[in-house]
Amino acid sequence: MLLAKLALGFCGTVALAGVYTFHEGVMRVDEDHHNGRHVHVWVPAAIVPMALHVVPSRHLERALEHAGPWLPTLRALTKELKKYPEAELVEVDDANQHVRIRTHLGKLLIDVTEPGETVHVACPLAMMEDIARTLEARSPAA
Amino acid sequence: MNVPASRLIEKIAITLATSLLAAGLLLTPVAAAQASPSSGSGQNVSASSHDRWLHVRVTNPGKNEETVRVNVPLELAEKVLPTINKNRLHSGKVSFDDIDCHGVDLHALVDAVRSSKDGEFVTVQSKDSDVRVAKQNGYLFVHVFEKNRPKHSQVEVKVPMKVVDALFSAGKDELDLVAALHALSSQGDTELVSVKDEENTVRVWLDSKNSTD
Repeated sequence: MLLAKLALGFCGTVALAGVYTFHEGVMRVDEDHHNGRHVHVWVPAAIVPMALHVVPSRHLERALEHAGPWLPTLRALTKELKKYPEAELVEVDDANQHVRIRTHLGKLLIDVTEPGETVHVACPLAMMEDIARTLEARSPAA
Repeated sequence: MNVPASRLIEKIAITLATSLLAAGLLLTPVAAAQASPSSGSGQNVSASSHDRWLHVRVTNPGKNEETVRVNVPLELAEKVLPTINKNRLHSGKVSFDDIDCHGVDLHALVDAVRSSKDGEFVTVQSKDSDVRVAKQNGYLFVHVFEKNRPKHSQVEVKVPMKVVDALFSAGKDELDLVAALHALSSQGDTELVSVKDEENTVRVWLDSKNSTD
């Protein structure tokens, strides 16, 4: 009986943790090269802003130095883009290349296809906004 | 008594855990489906009626058959532009000076156009090109037609006067882009710029659709 309760408690905790971890979706980066190299990164979106809190300041300083002036723009852009969950923003086509930037179900999707190389990036907009807010709060100007 | 109570607690716990799992499944986006890059690119989801979209389409029907399509919600541009502070762009305004205008007082020029009646202000006809600047029904028209190219090139610009007024509503040496975008958002569906030459076709227009047709 005690074991059953423990198992239930464990399952409940795991379920809760799972729900919380994935409630903002998943950030995906998929890269496929013609030489057989494949890179696939899937990260729960809720983890990324949390991870930023534990990154030592010295590692962020240089990034903030360059990205700092653009963080308000990133925050405003992601906040506004959330209002347009299904939108084609940019599409570039030529004989060899195809680039597409769009929003879909609250994510910013970037797809690049060219001979021998395919890159797909999917970033939840809520995550991008969280990152911008977190970095803004940690920037020296804040 | 103890046994039924513990069974009840167990059932409640199972129900709770199942509910949490179900909630998790519902709340968690199906990442694979969301990120699928192969969904149709030609889909045209109607935006809400108040959304105004600025569209830019550049086509180059040459050997590479290049096409660029950009669709920007005006409201988004209005909110994002003021956050960009780079070079001459500050708080949604672009600063310029006399050098940019070659000594022409742009504000005085706009005032003169605004206060004048509808009609043609500039008409230049030469063997190389025709240029026409006119004001009609609340719009400023600029039409340039170049003749000396293998294929004639043609530029047509149609800007609502309200937008021109808003653009020049900032200080003496500034153009207020945000005010112009705001004025543009109150306009109906309209074509703003059309450029056609031997290499490219450029079209800029405004409507309520969130994708190009």
